[in-house]
Amino acid sequence: MQSTMTLSADGRKPARTRKHVPLSFLLAGIAILGAVIYLVYVNTQTNAVYYVTVPELRHCTKCATQAVRVAGIVQAGSIKQNDKAQNVTFVIGDDNQTLQVSYSGVVPDIFRAGVQVVVEGRYSGSGPFQAQTLLAKCPSKFQAATPTVTQ
Amino acid sequence: MYFSDLGVIALYLALGFALFTIVAAVLGVIYQRPMLVESTRRSVLTVTFFMLLAVAALLASFLTHDFGVAYVAEQSSRAMPWYFTAAAFYGGQDGSLLYWAFMLAVFSAIFVFSSRRAPKAMVPYILATLMGIETFFVLVLVSVSNPFARSVVSPADGVGLNPLLMDPGMLLHPPLLLMGFMSFSVPFAFAVAALITGQLNADWLRAIRRWSLASWTIQSAGLLLGAWWAYHVLGWGGYWSWDPVENAALLPWLTMTAFLHSTMVQERRGMLKVWNLFLVIASFALSIFGTFEVRSGVISSVHSFAYSNIGAYYFAFLVIVILFSSGLFAFRFPRLQAEQEFDSVLSREGVFLLNNLLLVGMTFATLWGTVFPLITAFFIKQTETVGPPFYDQVMAPLTVVLIVAMGVGPLLAWRRTSVASLWRNLCVPALMAAACALILPLFGVTNVIANIGFSVCAFTAMAMLYELWRGMRVRHSHGEFYVVALYQLFNRYRRRYGGYIVHLGLVLLVVGIIGSSYFQQQRDSVALNAGQDMTIAGYRLTFLGNINVQDVDKQTEIAQLQIWYDGQLVKYIYPGRVVYNNYPSQPTSLISINTFNAADLYVFLSDWNGSSQATISVFYNPLVPFVWDGGILMIIGGICCWWPERHRTAASQRKRVVAPGSSVSGEKSEKQKVHGGVTV
Repeated sequence: MQSTMTLSADGRKPARTRKHVPLSFLLAGIAILGAVIYLVYVNTQTNAVYYVTVPELRHCTKCATQAVRVAGIVQAGSIKQNDKAQNVTFVIGDDNQTLQVSYSGVVPDIFRAGVQVVVEGRYSGSGPFQAQTLLAKCPSKFQAATPTVTQ
Repeated sequence: MYFSDLGVIALYLALGFALFTIVAAVLGVIYQRPMLVESTRRSVLTVTFFMLLAVAALLASFLTHDFGVAYVAEQSSRAMPWYFTAAAFYGGQDGSLLYWAFMLAVFSAIFVFSSRRAPKAMVPYILATLMGIETFFVLVLVSVSNPFARSVVSPADGVGLNPLLMDPGMLLHPPLLLMGFMSFSVPFAFAVAALITGQLNADWLRAIRRWSLASWTIQSAGLLLGAWWAYHVLGWGGYWSWDPVENAALLPWLTMTAFLHSTMVQERRGMLKVWNLFLVIASFALSIFGTFEVRSGVISSVHSFAYSNIGAYYFAFLVIVILFSSGLFAFRFPRLQAEQEFDSVLSREGVFLLNNLLLVGMTFATLWGTVFPLITAFFIKQTETVGPPFYDQVMAPLTVVLIVAMGVGPLLAWRRTSVASLWRNLCVPALMAAACALILPLFGVTNVIANIGFSVCAFTAMAMLYELWRGMRVRHSHGEFYVVALYQLFNRYRRRYGGYIVHLGLVLLVVGIIGSSYFQQQRDSVALNAGQDMTIAGYRLTFLGNINVQDVDKQTEIAQLQIWYDGQLVKYIYPGRVVYNNYPSQPTSLISINTFNAADLYVFLSDWNGSSQATISVFYNPLVPFVWDGGILMIIGGICCWWPERHRTAASQRKRVVAPGSSVSGEKSEKQKVHGGVTV
């Protein structure tokens, strides 16, 4: 793709009256953009979950009917492994509000008391929060060991 | 005097010379002082020298264990081996910023040495833009994020690198990914220069072709290594989780991929000028946005970085970049007219345009998902998030269409192609794909969506291999051996055939993704006692016992297991955990990954108790090796496209005018030229 194009690209002034885009292009373009917007819209509708803290969960009215993500810090001494039922229960909270959580599945490496976790699941308003997923915030990569989080 | 003092001095001098470059370049052009413009080349090299000095100073601080430097004390300790001590350089924010600024200076120096090939009028503006970016980074380095800052008391030993980072991946992934992010600056600088000088024809695109290929390849390697690292360290059996940090690295890669395709349309046909500029600027803006997003903590991520007020600096810089580029756009808009018009959607440029819409659509979807918490928090006062299913469900259909376009595109001519000739080229791959779709259920692929995915991949792979085969056959009929013919095709039309390698690599990668997302199996054992076993996908794992190894700085717990298949002992494996003394609450995993017939048996020690009890998680991940193979193939293809062409003799120059891959003006290209069996 060397020299020949340069001449035509540089010197020639395009003598056009108006912009003409073939119909096939418009249709194909609209189809793709429409598909993208449709996919994003529909999947946002089905996959969006509330992201709340423990006090917000208590005041949330719609959280009983749909999955929510709750962020909180695992409280000291609250982790109980239950080998029979293959689940783990613990309490998360921030400041003074706490929430009992029950979870079965693979527990992340760094899951410990004092770690910030995000649990996703349903909350009926009473009893423990049934978590389907448990994410521990990994103080990974660039986090210094001495906590520098000053928010 | 400490090395760190030297580093600070070097940073300030680099800042001074960077500022001088901007002023001298702009004034030199305005007042037409060639000497002043010439001096900017030297001053850029001076900036590079001082950045090198700063990097050397920090490296020396690390290697001499100067724990008086707060950053060194945070990131390294005496017990670490020298290579991790050196790699701890970019283990934290301050050092990675210094690395970024240093690489930008290095790339600027490479540009200075290769600037003879760039359009002459643009050079001062390119240098000024590059140094403008450099100024921002060095300013941040000397103000809020100084890696050379000393603490009052110098501790006897450092804290040490985060255990997750004590991994071979650390030696390669961060430097590559940061370099990838940084490298989008060079095409951006060209775009700014093209807008300022008004030289908006295809010259600047040709000048940045290899820069953008380099960016793309580096970023691909960074992404691939990140995925590989996550896979073999994090223990959840996957390699990509659509975390905001990962998305941040993917976004500029997507727009750069789009650009690499649309640039050909402008080079060939003088169209899509605005679009190309937009893509280059967007890639740079997204790379800055990504860094802003992960540093500022505005978006909650599984990775938590050390948050700091650096986010505000990045945000300000991002706003400046966007306003500045938009202003230039508005200023030059009248000149950004296309030279030719689109003829038919069934043409090479037609497919390129569709491919661009798809890639930008994917970028939009990823960006939307990433900033969704911010959007909802702002508009409906309630933070909502979308998880991996959102991305999977949006991206999968788009990827399928993209792969079909990838198979069809190279077979189409510029301007227009008749349906008949397209069918002639496509019937073999299409039949192969149909056969594939029929055969797959016999091999247990009963999932319809997975079958569609595999068949589409088969179609595109066949279309490309068939195209390659036809090229070889024609050269063979002119008396070349097949191997020589293949070599010559790659040698002569490097960009085209390098592109095919990238495409084949992507197809392989997608096959791997489909395999591992639809056919993954997982077993979590109860606490196994010595001698007990568990089975997965025909493999039986027998637990034998735990071994405890004590080191000076760490404790390692290793479980010993046997893998049995079909009554045969296949091998012994040793998944384990390492607990570093400095990080008692953060055990890292030694995951045992065993590849059998294109499937991984991924064994992870989730818990242990004494020497004879362990809880094991096993994942059976089919086709994951294809993800790595495909990724490596993409990188090889990228390097192949990037590799400099040899200088040719006049005779071969003449030949090239009719060769595919060389330019044929729009009118001529209407006819399909056949050379070396490749339709133009």
